Amino acid sequence: MHISEGVLSAPVLFAGAILSFIGVALGLKKIKNEDIPKVAVLSSAFFIASFIRVPIGPTSAHLLLNGLLGMLLGWSAFPSIFVALVLQALLFQFGGLTTLGVNTFAMAMPAVLSYYIFRGLLRRSKNLAFLGGFLGGSLSILIATIFISIALLETEKSFIGLAWTLVAMHLPIAIIEGIITGFVITYLKKVKPEALG
Amino acid sequence: MKKKIKSFKPAICLILTIICLQLFLFFSSLVYAHKVNTHAYREGDKIFGECYFVDGSPCKNSKVEVYNFNGQKILETTTDEKGKYSFITKEKDGLKIVISAGEGHRVEYKIKEAVDRKEVKEHITKDKKSQVEPKTWVGRDEMKQIIDEVVDVKLKGLRNEIIDLRKQMDKINLRDIIGGIGYILGIWGIIMFIKRKKNAS
Repeated sequence: MHISEGVLSAPVLFAGAILSFIGVALGLKKIKNEDIPKVAVLSSAFFIASFIRVPIGPTSAHLLLNGLLGMLLGWSAFPSIFVALVLQALLFQFGGLTTLGVNTFAMAMPAVLSYYIFRGLLRRSKNLAFLGGFLGGSLSILIATIFISIALLETEKSFIGLAWTLVAMHLPIAIIEGIITGFVITYLKKVKPEALG
Repeated sequence: MKKKIKSFKPAICLILTIICLQLFLFFSSLVYAHKVNTHAYREGDKIFGECYFVDGSPCKNSKVEVYNFNGQKILETTTDEKGKYSFITKEKDGLKIVISAGEGHRVEYKIKEAVDRKEVKEHITKDKKSQVEPKTWVGRDEMKQIIDEVVDVKLKGLRNEIIDLRKQMDKINLRDIIGGIGYILGIWGIIMFIKRKKNAS
């Protein structure tokens, strides 16, 4: 899911950086001080999720948890994911410092989208909340793969083919994450409903 | 303030459990994201290399491009089922190998210029000429060939060991992951500190 250094051309990198900058700035502005512990913990959850690899086909896909972050944080998912990606790039060379913008946008934007689309469902009954969590968690990943395909459009040429392989590769992961997100949401609804507000 | 932080406890507990679960999965070796690595070495005109993901699984059928010192593409090949590749080149200067494993994975590796064997040989022969010719039953050329073969065989084991060591070094270790979590919490702590100061002023 992380695009490595040297793959993308300068305009793509630049566009990604600007979009992410806007997202991060917006997110930072919207965070309330008392929410920061939550953001920090979810940030590290995202950081670790990338190490859980599920072998599929020629390469391997890993968990993202970006849907969960989006559902719980809204726009704050941007800075949260950004911090985690910086450390992944610095410590493990996942992605890279130049592609940080593109990677952040590709993973955080679907999170924010699912926040706006499925937030309403979370306030309903338990089953609907689970459904909202499942859809938010799985669709965030699939939209992220589409964003990644768009970013790679220039390098890989065949967009449809690439998008299909990426989506197919991440489908199992999307389902797993949907279930995880659904359970987390229903649990939170039980013990701390205001966290989903 | 205290009350608010307290009210986040269930959420934080839950997420910490998720992290612990993930760490547990780490130990069951399901881990490692997919960074790509490659190493290559030169043997005469031939160059051998291997390409693999951080978990040690090979990059199958990936495109390997070779560039010369000036950045011109010399040749192109692909890796086999075991992620290995080899090619023959007359280029004695440094080479740059670029492997793209698809979906935005890409790795670069530089090979140093070849040690000129002739020079080494001349050096040796000069040295030997000054000495008294040793009495041996084997001819000098034959001897050289035997030595070359033996050294090659011995070096092969060593090379494999070095590649294995490098693979191990490239693997993610738990220390880095835990350190990363510490950094993240620290960064957010600083952000919180700055925000609070701003609010106060």
